[in-house]
This record gives sequence, structure tokens and C-alpha cells, in this order.
Amino acid sequence: MQAPKADEREGATVKPIQIRGRSLTAVALHLEGAADANFYNALDAKLRQTPLFFENAPLVIDLEHSSVASPEAISALVAELRRRRLSVFAAQNATAEQASAALAAGLIVLPGGRDVPIERVSRSPARSARPVKLLAAEPEPPPAATKLITQPVRSGQTVFADRGDLVVIGSVSSGAEVIATGNIHIYGRLRGRALAGVNGDGAARIFCHALDAELLAIAGLYRTSETLGPDTPRQNVQIYLEGEKLCVESLK
Amino acid sequence: MSKVIVVTSGKGGVGKTTSSAAISAGLAMRGHKTVVVDFDVGLRNLDMIMGCERRVVFDFINVIQGDAKLKQALIKDRRLENLFVLPTSQTRDKDALTQDGVKAVLDELRQEFDYIICDSPAGIERGAHLAMYFADEAVVVTNPEVSSVRDSDRVLGLLNSKTYLAEKADGRAVKAQLLLTRFDPQRVAGGEMMSVEDVLEILAIPLLGIIPESTTVLRASNVGMPVVLDDKSPAGRAYEDAVGRLVGEQIEMRINPAEKRGFLQRLLKRTA
Repeated sequence: MQAPKADEREGATVKPIQIRGRSLTAVALHLEGAADANFYNALDAKLRQTPLFFENAPLVIDLEHSSVASPEAISALVAELRRRRLSVFAAQNATAEQASAALAAGLIVLPGGRDVPIERVSRSPARSARPVKLLAAEPEPPPAATKLITQPVRSGQTVFADRGDLVVIGSVSSGAEVIATGNIHIYGRLRGRALAGVNGDGAARIFCHALDAELLAIAGLYRTSETLGPDTPRQNVQIYLEGEKLCVESLK
Repeated sequence: MSKVIVVTSGKGGVGKTTSSAAISAGLAMRGHKTVVVDFDVGLRNLDMIMGCERRVVFDFINVIQGDAKLKQALIKDRRLENLFVLPTSQTRDKDALTQDGVKAVLDELRQEFDYIICDSPAGIERGAHLAMYFADEAVVVTNPEVSSVRDSDRVLGLLNSKTYLAEKADGRAVKAQLLLTRFDPQRVAGGEMMSVEDVLEILAIPLLGIIPESTTVLRASNVGMPVVLDDKSPAGRAYEDAVGRLVGEQIEMRINPAEKRGFLQRLLKRTA
């Protein structure tokens, strides 16, 4: 098959490059001490238990409690992990020495982040677009508290209900942002961004009188106004997660 | 009891200075002692629109910095008994404004004037922030188009959070009202401009007035005459109505004062 001629390509409407934000869930592997035989035995045992779980899962090595630092040791560790078909791509909580060794081994170095023990993750806990501040980890969650806003939320404002539901009596303007760890209720028109269940609560929902949103997100899974089709109901709707799909449904 | 009213918008070029001049002149015509203060440090325009640019000796910044007394900087309007202008500096920038300095000047003005109109610069930075900070009321100037409406919405958010009344949180808030300027009913009908209803639905604040797009506004600016002094123009009458509402009168909203033209005139306009 022949490559298209230059003038044909110019006529094409497809943009040669599109830049999109993308968030993904990675598995963090915490390394205690050195990467010795004990470590590999334990790792192999874990892999035997759940052979499919790690298949193709992006993996980050956490070096916070690890003494592995030399470029050779890091390279060896990466090679061993890859031999076990683990897709290691980054290191986190690295010291300066570990960071340069990790870079040399072809990894990227991530700034420290919070991660959760994998057992607690029921479903893809996709992070929201801006998880750092929102996910301030607290050992004992404080009692839920609903936040009530009785004024319109204006462009440029952010309202964050960090301990439960958010109720807005009024509209949410374009360029404004409403965020809750629980549900979001808007008794008005939603023109801005609404992010419910930002701590990973996939059962959270968004309700609004009129939907004209720039972005909707539940537990980090999002749709923008571009991906909401023309058939999407716009009046008295609820937005919820069904599996990995963000659904917009009219409230009858 | 004096009132500080900020005329603000976020976006530039929507008619803040023209509206400040018209509103302050309108208030003075109604017998209220009024001063209009230019907060647009470095881009002095108000004194030109007020037609007093050749009489500026001392300015707002001189007063803030203690180089001149307030009385020396205030310029009395030649046409209206009750109208004064406090011009700003052309050679300084917004950093010359300090919160304490602005407060001191406004407090002194409050002693003497019924209305203090603060002409805000565009943007949401220092100059605009200090222009709105001590306000009791706000006139949000908006053109019927999306970017102006969004910027006004942003400014309304700031009025609700970043002002003295909002920070004091004693239940009082800056009372904000919408002044829709450069309104052209024909372009609204043609779908090129947003309708009054659309703008009000987004901004959700009371409507103070609708100023039709008009060449008399530009002409008035060029000759340094506040547009309310031209009582024959639709824009001048619309500003007069808006001023009446600002002081609490009930005046019916004329969506298009231009439509008061006779039938024949309208016909002529169509074919022209």
C-alpha cells in the first residue's frame, strides 16, 4: 500500500497531534530494605496467588524504606521485575541518589503520593484530576457533614465539601467548580465542573435541575461537555456510575 | 449616610469609565454631592471623559502618599455644582495603591460626599481589588456577550468574598446590580448578542439598566462630557433611568429606548 501523497494529507481534517489529559491507576510496590532473595521469594509467592492481577498493570516502585540505591542494583531490580512481566515504569519516594539511578534505568521519577493498600480497592479507584489536596489522608475519617451553599457559585470559585455531600441552592457558573467526597445536589443550572466522590466513592451521584456542565466526574471517572452527546437529557438529571461508565439519566 | 459604589466589570472596554462618569453626573444632577475616583492608576482616562484633564495638578496617589491634601486633588466640575473628580496618576502603577491609603482617602471622602463612585480598572488584580474592597454597592458593567458575562460572574464571586463587607461576615454583603451596556436589540434578534434574559439567568443579580449601543456615547467621551448631560440621546436617558434606580426609585425598564422613535423615523432608519 502506498503512503498518501502530501497534498492528500494536507486536505485531511485529522489533526496530526492532540494533547489530552490522562490519569491512570498504578500499583505501587513497596520495597523494604534490600532487593534480596527474601524479597523475590515473597514477590513470587504473591504473584502465584494472583497471577492475573498484575498482568499489564502499570507498576511504581516505592523506595521510601529501601536501601537499594546504586545504578546497578536499581537496573537489576527493574530487570528482575520485568522478567516477571511486571510493567514497572516509575519510582516514587526516591532519594536524590535513587532518583538518578532510576532515571538511568529508564524509569521516571514521581513525586511522593498517597496510595492505598490494594485489598481496599474494590474497583478502579481512578484519581480525580487534582487529587493531591483532596486526598489528604486521615486515619479516622471525621463524621460526615453536608455542606450547604445558598448563593450561586461564580466563575473562578471552588466549593469543596470534604466530609460528605454538597448542596447548592442556585446555579454553578461556567468556570466554577463544585467538589464533594459524597453526592452533589444542585438546585439550579450546572454550567461549571462537578466532581463527586473524589475520594474514590463510586456510589456517589450528581443531581441537578439543568445540565450544561463543562465536566462531570464521579470517583475520578469523568466526561466533558464534548463527550456528552446531543441526546443527553438536560433537565432534572442524575449522574451516576454504572461499572466504568458515567451515566446521565433523567429523573422522571 | 454616604455610599461607596464601585463600577467594575473584570473585562476591559465594556464601558466602566463611561458609566462611572455618567452615573456620577446623574447623581449630581439629582442634587447628591458626588465624587468619582479613578482607580485605574497609570491609565488615566476618567479625567478625559469628565473633560477636566487640563486641570489635574495633584492626584489620588499624591493624596495616598501624603504629598497633597485631598482638597488640593479634588477637581470641581464646571457644569454641575455637586460633582467632583479625584483623578489618578498617569506616571505611577497600581502598586502605589495601598489598602490603608485607600481606606484613609475613602473615609475622608465619606465625611463630605453622599456618593463616592469608584471607577475600577479592568482585571481582578490589585487596582480592581482595592477599588471594590471598601464598597457598599457595586455596579457590574457587562456587555451582552459570553466573555464579558463570564468575567462579570468572576467579579461577582470576588465581591462576595474579597471585600471588606464579605470578610467582616456580619451578614451584610456588597449589593451588586447589573448595568448592561452596548446593547443592540437588532443584533440580539439576529442571534449575535446574548439577550437580557440570558445574561440575567447566568449572573442572577438585579438589573440596574440597559444602555443601548450608541454613537452619542463615543461623541460624548471625545468632547469630555458625561453622556447623561445629553438628555436627547437614548443612551443618556437610559443612564438617567439607571441612576434613578440606583437611588431607589421605581422606574420601568425600557429595553430599547431607541424604539420610542416615530413610525416614519423607523422606516427611514430601515432603508438607510
